[in-house]
Amino acid sequence: MSFQDYFFKEIPRREFLELSLKGSVALASAATLLSNLLSGETQPKEIVSLFSREDLNKVIQQALRYGGDFAEVYLEHRLSRSLLLEEGKFKSAIYRLSQGAGVRVMAGDKTGYAYTDELTMEKLLRAAEVASYIARNGKTIKPVPIKEQKGPNYITVKIPLQIVADEKRLEIMQRAHEAALAYDARIKMASIDYYDEIRGRVIANSEGLYIFDELPLIFFTVQTLGVGNNTSHLGRERISRRCGIELFDEIKPEDVARTCARESVAMLEAKEAPAGKMDVVVQNGWGGVLVHEAVGHPLEADNIAKGIGIFVGKMDKKVASDVFTLVDDGSLPNFRGTTNFDDEGTPMKRNVLIKDGVLVKFMTDLLSAKQLKMEKTGNGRRESFQFMPIPRMTNTFIERGKDNPQEIIASTKKGLYVQSISGGSVNPITGVFNFTCREAYLIENGQKTIPVKGATLVGHCLDIIQGIDAVGHDLDFGPGICGKGQIAEVTAGQPTVRIRGINVGGTRGR
Amino acid sequence: MDFKDLAKQTIKKCLKKGAEAAEIYLENGRNLTIEVRNGEIERIQEAASYGAGLRIIIKGRMAFASSNDLKEKSLDEAINRAIAFAKITSADPANVLPDDPRVSPVEGLYDPLIRQVPIDEKIELLRRLEKLAMKDSRITKSGGATYREGEGEIILANSNGLLKSFQATVCGYGIEVVAEKGEQKSSGSDFRQRRFYADLPPLEEVASKAAREASEMLDPRPVKTQRAAVIFDREVAYALLGGILSALNGERVLQGASFLGKKLGQKIASDFLTLIDDGLRPKGLASKPFDGEGVATQRRIIVHKGILQGYMYNTIVAKRAGVESTGNASRNSFSSLPGIGPHNFYMEAGQAKPEDIIKATKTGFLVKEITGYGINPVNGHFSGGASGFWIENGRIAFPVKGLTIAGSADEILFGLDLVANDLDLNRIVAAPTFRVKALQIGGD
Repeated sequence: MSFQDYFFKEIPRREFLELSLKGSVALASAATLLSNLLSGETQPKEIVSLFSREDLNKVIQQALRYGGDFAEVYLEHRLSRSLLLEEGKFKSAIYRLSQGAGVRVMAGDKTGYAYTDELTMEKLLRAAEVASYIARNGKTIKPVPIKEQKGPNYITVKIPLQIVADEKRLEIMQRAHEAALAYDARIKMASIDYYDEIRGRVIANSEGLYIFDELPLIFFTVQTLGVGNNTSHLGRERISRRCGIELFDEIKPEDVARTCARESVAMLEAKEAPAGKMDVVVQNGWGGVLVHEAVGHPLEADNIAKGIGIFVGKMDKKVASDVFTLVDDGSLPNFRGTTNFDDEGTPMKRNVLIKDGVLVKFMTDLLSAKQLKMEKTGNGRRESFQFMPIPRMTNTFIERGKDNPQEIIASTKKGLYVQSISGGSVNPITGVFNFTCREAYLIENGQKTIPVKGATLVGHCLDIIQGIDAVGHDLDFGPGICGKGQIAEVTAGQPTVRIRGINVGGTRGR
Repeated sequence: MDFKDLAKQTIKKCLKKGAEAAEIYLENGRNLTIEVRNGEIERIQEAASYGAGLRIIIKGRMAFASSNDLKEKSLDEAINRAIAFAKITSADPANVLPDDPRVSPVEGLYDPLIRQVPIDEKIELLRRLEKLAMKDSRITKSGGATYREGEGEIILANSNGLLKSFQATVCGYGIEVVAEKGEQKSSGSDFRQRRFYADLPPLEEVASKAAREASEMLDPRPVKTQRAAVIFDREVAYALLGGILSALNGERVLQGASFLGKKLGQKIASDFLTLIDDGLRPKGLASKPFDGEGVATQRRIIVHKGILQGYMYNTIVAKRAGVESTGNASRNSFSSLPGIGPHNFYMEAGQAKPEDIIKATKTGFLVKEITGYGINPVNGHFSGGASGFWIENGRIAFPVKGLTIAGSADEILFGLDLVANDLDLNRIVAAPTFRVKALQIGGD
């Protein structure tokens, strides 16, 4: 654990944040597709036209005036809506506009950063001046004039969020709400959280880069409260993608709600979970958060460049079992963790991190790639203009294996079957991680049997990836929010896998 | 820009455009972060920023819009959007804004000195902190020393005539270090923050705590799965309070999603548990004269000697519950609606010395780090990962890592049988070291 993130808000580091039941996110709307633009509403893509290339060149020059070997300007404009339908009411509707610019200067291992939420030349030049403080009295480079670049597009939109009437959004939420309550009489409350945003980005740097795009995002969360005799369970199901409202034609809101309600009801029968080391089978999909925490974070290159991460000195070495291949791919079409280029302008691509058990790559941002003399992998990401980019995951998953998922369970004599996970966290230096089950069952004599209460599972990352002995062919994904001092949209994925010997935090001694 | 004037004008404009009630929450702040590693500056970040959140109510329907662009065009757009949204949300007679003009005077929220201390002095401070932490021969690497400061002003105005504001500062420093031995790595860190620069604790204290935390955890040994006494060090005791805090949220209580929902006036813990929410503590990190929607803050006893005295409410949820707001409207920032949250929330200290609690424990687990989600606020179920020290015959025997602890809220709260006198109020959620008679521990 690091102190850094316990500063103003006490949020544990690297933890998938659970959306709280009440949530700060909420809005409401409904049925037909009508143009929804209010007159005069600024659109994210317009940020491109706010500053000329000449302006941006000037800011970069200013940033390097006193020294430095790299300077960058990042402009951002984000419009978002969030709607909350809870206890049968559209409780709140939120509209947010956030815009600003960050200027970064690097000189050797030093970084200066300043941001402003006023998009004027005066403020940009001022930010450049502040950011240049660290480079004072050093040597400087001559910036390359910026030139527009275009790259591949991994995000396709059929029905843009901009033209969707709020009523359409409300209708989607209502459908989910009704389906959740209709699922079972024990579902006493449903909470439907709809969020969408459009984020425009412009990145220009002293190496001549000038690139921009516009990223849509939808995040839809259903939570249902099941109430039984003397117990309750709050279930959760989420979907998220970078696309237009056509998402809900492909994935019906009713199905999301039913999946959630099923969990809430199933877990009302949960018995005490066992405590101690046992074999664990994790269902395909969002269970990938296990490797996101256990090995994903430790493979981010910032702690490697500092020489303190658990994988320091392990490149090209065997770190995991033969059946384990780990991939981070920010170019999977329309995925939540996908962008066309990262927040430093590096194109996205598929990066195999661990191949058949051998460590082959770290996830880098510009700084760590330079420090480690490694390739740029497209993992330099930032929550917003208020943050410096750091190495982050995108869509991270265990690659498909050969085993039949049913046989994985059948060949496990005794253990725990983890069907869904709340989230987890890791200390990337020591490699000790944990994750917490939302829905889990006992495995007895090769059969999935009774549900057990949510337990926290702990272990050391190397033990886990060395202990994976079966990998299914049923790769699937789930969306998440990853925190590392700043938030990033990610996807975690995996096929059904079995891990030998994880410590399970149950309440029942064996 | 005169923010108070802007706030008043914006409220007027909202009413003119059709809002029946309106509120503006304006934030204007500045922050600085410095990181030093291996004696060199690694990062300096500085920025000033502001923004406003608008809450609009029309015929009992509520909507919200926020913008960090305070130019007329953008603010107008935000107002229009909020008014449009207020046509599609559901009506609720509880959707009202506060109207009480009072504020609670709180001393020591703003230190004008912080910004006057030169940046070079702050950098030098980090260099010294890092050096001190690296002095310990078992420490092999530095994860970096960090200094942060922030100051800001909150301005709140609404159509009931409220216009309130306050200024606050915070500053802090800390360090992370690594101890290595063969293939083993162990990390330790400490970070402290205060409202006033002059109140920051001595560098030696912060450095030695981080170094000790990293080095004393080397060479852990396994223990068997068993039930035993668990001592929660004051560093982790707060982790348990998180779930309790969520369960005290008046909205969760109304929704039936709190394990404390039907326990008002009842015994929920042993006599050793007294919980206080204090918005008034002088120099408190979470103290403020009014909450996130302008209601005067208070100091409240939430649990007294094990008996639950009350929940936490903002104005809307209080009205739905038929009670008064407790001044617990919380905002993450100007861009969020007021939710419900604590101020300085703590468990009252006891009489025992922490070392006496260890002495009184024949076999047990002294927990120094907890991971996971803490107590589940819905059903009171607790399960977490834990590391710390194993206790045998009243003495610390060896470090342990990768264990789990689990139980129910009842087991923990009624099992509380010893509470130490080491409460540190300089954190937002705080508890002293305490012992729980027995919990399930998962190991080999």
